[in-house]
Amino acid sequence: MYSTVQKTIKNSWIELAVRWFLGITFIYGSYYKIIEPAHFAKIIYGYYLFPDFSINLIAIVLPFLEFFAGLALILGIYPRSTALIILGMLFVFIIAISINLSRGIEFDCGCFSFSEAGYTYSVWQLLIRDIFYFVLGLHILFFDQLRRWCLMQSGSILKNTSRQKQTTA
Amino acid sequence: MPIKDIAKELALLLLLAVITAFVVNFYSSKGIALTGDWDTAQGVITAKAKDNVVNHGLEIQDIRIAKEIYDGKEAIFVDARAYEDYKDGHIKRAVSMPINQLEERIVKFIANYPADTYIITYCSGRECDDSHELAQLLFEEGYTTISVFIDGYPAWEGKGYPIESVKH
Repeated sequence: MYSTVQKTIKNSWIELAVRWFLGITFIYGSYYKIIEPAHFAKIIYGYYLFPDFSINLIAIVLPFLEFFAGLALILGIYPRSTALIILGMLFVFIIAISINLSRGIEFDCGCFSFSEAGYTYSVWQLLIRDIFYFVLGLHILFFDQLRRWCLMQSGSILKNTSRQKQTTA
Repeated sequence: MPIKDIAKELALLLLLAVITAFVVNFYSSKGIALTGDWDTAQGVITAKAKDNVVNHGLEIQDIRIAKEIYDGKEAIFVDARAYEDYKDGHIKRAVSMPINQLEERIVKFIANYPADTYIITYCSGRECDDSHELAQLLFEEGYTTISVFIDGYPAWEGKGYPIESVKH
């Protein structure tokens, strides 16, 4: 059992699948935020957590961080650092959602921009989804084998394994 | 842990994202200002996008002033919310004009109310800009005197002011 898990974790095809899945998810997630930054800013406001001056800046930068992180995961550009960025974003999302869950707040401005944009996820769904993504991100971060279809190998968070392997190969 | 390598990679990725974000936002027709208006005490919140509809100059900040205008029958109140919400309860004698149904309803509205009618739009409060969007759409239809009652239906109802609903 233990060795099966070990094999799965070290399987480079699994790592590739995880990387692509997260990559596509983040690019897809960034799309609406990029084309409608004003709506996204309102969603950030709706968490009632961020200072007023930061709301627009987050709405401008975060979608592109998601987009480039997703793209970098798919192309295999610095996967461990990209995973760190994604984990950082997910960590903030998870904390923000958890705080609002504990406060019992679910933002609803009663406006068309929200009802039509299809924000139909419940907060619990969002939380569980983000925790699942977080686990996938950890897998990419700690994967220490040579990664498949990777433009820029960078090893794992712990060591530049792949580079050593490439030079010794 | 190869901290130096990771720091370099992170800096590159972050720099690329941040620069692209600001460049795209600058040129995009949907771009937003670097800071928005997010204090409801100042009026309806807005990210101040290039296609921003919020004009604080139209806003009635004090609900008592809205009530005075209402009592004096000086204006027609127009409800920008979805018709379902209007049916459940609205300011008494208000006209329903959901912004996504403007085209269907505007002909009848124009027939009933001449262009110099004083119009007050409202929706569900200071976090909702549909009332502002409706005001802009009505300006485009030729109406000249429009204000936005920004506290909207919830505050009106909360004050115990006259409301009514549509019977199902």
